[in-house]
Amino acid sequence: MVVTASRDLPKLAAVIGIGVFALLPMARLPAFYDSFLYLVFFWISLSTSWTLLSGFAGYFSLGHAAFFGVGMYATAVMSAKFGVPFLFTLPVAAAIPALLAVGIGAIVFRLRRLRGELFALLTLAVTFVIATIILNTPIDGGGGIFMSAVPLPAIMPTPTGSIYALGFVLCVSTLAIAWKVAHSRLGMGLFAIHDDEDVAEAKGVPTFRYKIIAFALSAGIAGAVGGVHAMYVGFLTVSGTFDLTVPLYVVLMSVIGGSRSWFGPAIGAAFITTLLYAFISGGEALVGRALVGLILVVAILWLPDGVVPAVKKWLARWRGVTAKPPQAGVVPIEPVSLPISRPVGDRVLLQVRGASKRFGGLQALAGVDLDVHEGEILGLVGPNGSGKTTLINVISGFYPLSGGTIAVDGVEIGHVPAHEIARRGVARTYQIPRPFVNMTVLENVTLAATFGGPARPGAEIRAEALHWIAFTGLAGKEDVLPAGLNLHERKFLELARALAAKPKLLLLDEVLSGLNPAEVDNAIRLVRAIRAQGATIVFVEHLMRAVVELSDRIAVLNEGRLFALGAPREVMRDPGVVSIYLGKAYAA
Amino acid sequence: MIYPVGALRRRGVLAGMVGATATLGAPAIVRAAPSGKPVRVGGTLSLTGFLAQTAVIHKIASEMMVEEINGRNGLLGRPVEYILLDDQSKPETARSLYEKLITVDKVDLIQGPYATAPILAAMGVAQRYGKVMIQSSMGIPKLQTYDRAFPATPFGSEPNVTYPNVILDAMATFPTPPKTMVVLTSKFPSAQFMAQGMKEQAEKRGVKVLLYLEYESGNRDFGAIAARIKEANPDLLWVGSLGLESNLLLEALRKLDYSPKNSFHLYPAPGPLALSPDGDKALCSTFLEPDEPFMSRPGMKRLAAEFKEKATKANLPYSTIDAQACGMISEWQILEAAVNGAGSLDDEKIAAWLKKNRVTTVYGSMRFDGPYNHGDAAQLIKQVQNKEWKVVWPKEFAAPGVKLIAS
Amino acid sequence: MPSATLLGQALISGVLAGGLYGLLAMGLSLSWGLLRLVNLSHFALAFLAAYIVYELGTDYHIEPWWSAAMVVPAMFAIGTAQHWLFDRFKVNELGSLLMTFSFAIILEVAIQLYWTADFRRYETEYATRSIKAGPFYIPVLELTLCIVAAVLACGTWVWLRRTYVGKALRAAAEDPDIAAAYGVNHKKLAYLLSGIGAAYAGVAGTFIALIATLAPAQIWTYLGVVFAVVIIGRLGNPIGALLAGMLIGASESLAQAVLSPAWSPVVSFSVLIVILLWDPEWL
Repeated sequence: MVVTASRDLPKLAAVIGIGVFALLPMARLPAFYDSFLYLVFFWISLSTSWTLLSGFAGYFSLGHAAFFGVGMYATAVMSAKFGVPFLFTLPVAAAIPALLAVGIGAIVFRLRRLRGELFALLTLAVTFVIATIILNTPIDGGGGIFMSAVPLPAIMPTPTGSIYALGFVLCVSTLAIAWKVAHSRLGMGLFAIHDDEDVAEAKGVPTFRYKIIAFALSAGIAGAVGGVHAMYVGFLTVSGTFDLTVPLYVVLMSVIGGSRSWFGPAIGAAFITTLLYAFISGGEALVGRALVGLILVVAILWLPDGVVPAVKKWLARWRGVTAKPPQAGVVPIEPVSLPISRPVGDRVLLQVRGASKRFGGLQALAGVDLDVHEGEILGLVGPNGSGKTTLINVISGFYPLSGGTIAVDGVEIGHVPAHEIARRGVARTYQIPRPFVNMTVLENVTLAATFGGPARPGAEIRAEALHWIAFTGLAGKEDVLPAGLNLHERKFLELARALAAKPKLLLLDEVLSGLNPAEVDNAIRLVRAIRAQGATIVFVEHLMRAVVELSDRIAVLNEGRLFALGAPREVMRDPGVVSIYLGKAYAA
Repeated sequence: MIYPVGALRRRGVLAGMVGATATLGAPAIVRAAPSGKPVRVGGTLSLTGFLAQTAVIHKIASEMMVEEINGRNGLLGRPVEYILLDDQSKPETARSLYEKLITVDKVDLIQGPYATAPILAAMGVAQRYGKVMIQSSMGIPKLQTYDRAFPATPFGSEPNVTYPNVILDAMATFPTPPKTMVVLTSKFPSAQFMAQGMKEQAEKRGVKVLLYLEYESGNRDFGAIAARIKEANPDLLWVGSLGLESNLLLEALRKLDYSPKNSFHLYPAPGPLALSPDGDKALCSTFLEPDEPFMSRPGMKRLAAEFKEKATKANLPYSTIDAQACGMISEWQILEAAVNGAGSLDDEKIAAWLKKNRVTTVYGSMRFDGPYNHGDAAQLIKQVQNKEWKVVWPKEFAAPGVKLIAS
Repeated sequence: MPSATLLGQALISGVLAGGLYGLLAMGLSLSWGLLRLVNLSHFALAFLAAYIVYELGTDYHIEPWWSAAMVVPAMFAIGTAQHWLFDRFKVNELGSLLMTFSFAIILEVAIQLYWTADFRRYETEYATRSIKAGPFYIPVLELTLCIVAAVLACGTWVWLRRTYVGKALRAAAEDPDIAAAYGVNHKKLAYLLSGIGAAYAGVAGTFIALIATLAPAQIWTYLGVVFAVVIIGRLGNPIGALLAGMLIGASESLAQAVLSPAWSPVVSFSVLIVILLWDPEWL
């Protein structure tokens, strides 16, 4: 294989860089440089660990000081009060905050509404509670903890060098973890959670588990960093440790660097730490601080998404790799080589028995029985509020069932989390397309293929994603962000994502709404092509022409019950069906 | 003068310092300005951040003292150059900046920062490089574990034992000495340390402590605490307060139509409490006030006048020289005496000299040979009388005609 | 066991002291809820106003109420000027938080440059007045604060619910595009709202000058508790913010009356955590 310089140069540079920095204390520079660089490493580790949950998954935390502080106190208490050797305290300093995060996450992540600012405030509140507990119990008690008697292992020739080395190891490990996460299933899942958590779950991402893992990693790293920092500071007080400006600076660093990138926070942290040290002289301290504030304001206005995305954009322009403008008009569908329509089988793929769903006082589904056969296209119709979308939502696991059972391939799924259902071969689309807005078309489809389908090597998944992109006529738009697509293309992106999961059962929620007649024809052809591949389809639709044209059978829902079921033309001629569609008064 | 001038000069000559010889034959009063390569003295103060309230006072006092020392004979006949950095009220910054001062700027000597946390952070650095560090504001002497760290303020080695007894002694002279007290304190380490001592000593001497309460440093509302104090109605209210906490507490008490029978305040902002309508007769800790007998101490009158001028110019609301500013003055006086006394910039020699000699400072004669390098305790009591702080206890430090008044 | 008088007094003091939290929270809640702008510099503006009121009061002997009449419009102007930046650069929620954090740093320095970092105290006769009601004392200043805050909160609420402009604002908060389709000039309204938010900071600042400690670093001390109040009171709801402020004030005060006072932050933030997890319908 030909080794290309452009690919291996960064690796080489990284290895040399790590080597040089690792051995720097040997050079016996003035201790201040070790000390200053330690602080840079410290902030890099802290802001990078923050970004694992908050930047990647979008769960914005203002509570990073809590985990960092717990780590500091864990090390301080163990080493200063119980004489545990310093290095042995570090794993505990990481473990306690990680467990704390798991505990908090186990409660908070179950509540869908605790996102955004509510999550931020909750973490902030946790910080205050922990700080007050530490302040008022013998952990600190108010007098602070003095670490002067704790021996520091002589890793390097000087004590500051040893602290430097520990800070450096943590920094490199944190960056390695962030890199690994960003390039793994976990990272992909977290990015999807950032953009649309419900959709991520429906595409097979185990959102709850991923968030807990990210939270625990984030908190654990912060704790370990705190453990080392306790030794650096030497004297801990609650007010100094749980200082509100710590999380604010962490956020600032991550955002200025670019919080969706694994190395963005490192850039932000290095920049801001240096900036804060630029004005330390007694004469100019005040004006310097104002200047720091001003530079930060300008940086935020100028680079709202951070340095990394800005540089990437700039690089892309420089290389001339600009995204192609979206093509106008209807995307022609390549005539897929259609195998002859397979006959509808006898085997029941989806079995719904007495399914009911209640929201407070509203009975959205009141006991629905429905069998869908393998290879069948079932049209699901009914007036607004009849429960069609709710049925889709309970089958796909977005809502747990209030009563009854739902089985796919004979396996009960009524109370299984949505991502499990997705893995059992159920895929869905959304009436209003919900693509992951910060992912390209290819990444959107790749995610669905990764989490929906069976485990396969990356290359295979990519090939498959490209196949479905081509199948839905989106070829050439692989690197376009969803914002660059029109409604028609976004609907097809929904389909591509659903198909990439290789579903046994495909739930389509009004794929045709909002399309013009030519686009509708196009879409109908596509649905046929999908069925031809062997999928079973349940689709909700208002457009009767399409329903009649596509369906093998039609199910009519009304007021949460199955009102009619049968062959398309018969059902549509049923006077009862006509009356619920046109209103009772009119029918009477 | 307060300094062993002759000895200094002789050593100066022996050390071959430029400029020292020039002053040898000069009359005692007219001194040649120090000359030669400046002696660089580095230090940090919390010029920004949450400890910044007092930093500006220390900065003024420091600059004043550098001028003063340079106006005399400098250090070893060389002028002093003061390198001041801003530790932003953070101990980790203090640590890195002391490393910068010592390893990059290569200062000859260091001065301590302000407040316990930055001091301890700086002390660790000083210890690694064997530097002498003089500090003025660490209220917990036992934490000063480094044998070349010296206090510039006469807390004594166990202020948590000695000072409460000073207070109780003063109270014992009242017509009706307090039998009950409430100890209320901020959870600021040095205040809490003293409060616990106060409680212990009071109980030892038979004063009943009705309530011992701790509140978070920076507490915003004192309504409920005031209600508890009113209900306890102690003979003495002891408050381990910082900043304006005492003002807020006294106002909260007044709102409940209650004035404490006697109240003592540990480290309040002096100006606002003296001027507060509720502050009358309030007692407070101090080490000196610009009054007799302190004003008769060498150089004190001039320093007080100069401080007032500079503080007013810096727009400080309370421009009177106080124990806070004097801590810094004392730091420089000790450094000057020790360097010139040891005849060397060598930290080992300076430290050794300090352990063997007494230094006359604004706080009086100080020694450094006790536990944690502390000497005698000289914490006094002052009282607000007619909107002014007056030292009232021990009696020998009260200005002529001033008495401790029971309220 | 604490006496009933003590508990009652703690409750009164706490509710009234909580009024200041509510007042500080109102402006923040409006811009956060209706404009999706988190203005951390709100606290710095309040303290700037407090310092000006202090300066006018101590150096020029102007009554705080007259000072407020000057300071509040000035704050309104600053608020709209600040909004120009938000608008010009299309700042989002997170961006506004970070940008105003930086603003707050600049304002903190500005205050320190002019007034120094030393503690300032504005001595007025108002600070210690109270009304006796049975065994209880009601502090006049805090009571005034609560009345002013209640009037402002109710006025704002009526303005948002009943007037066309207010409804338009709320509509725009829900969906700016649809609101624009109905001819709502969201931009102008946003300037107005930002100005009002800052003006509330001016009102809060007037009371801070009379009640609290003035020092530059104090701008950060209210941040945590007021954020909690904003969230408990529901974003964009001024009456909710005031009531939540009183709730937190009361819970802190009762905790200080019964427990060791240093435990009180646990109580107020636990209230927040419980409310966030429980999500009661009455909120």
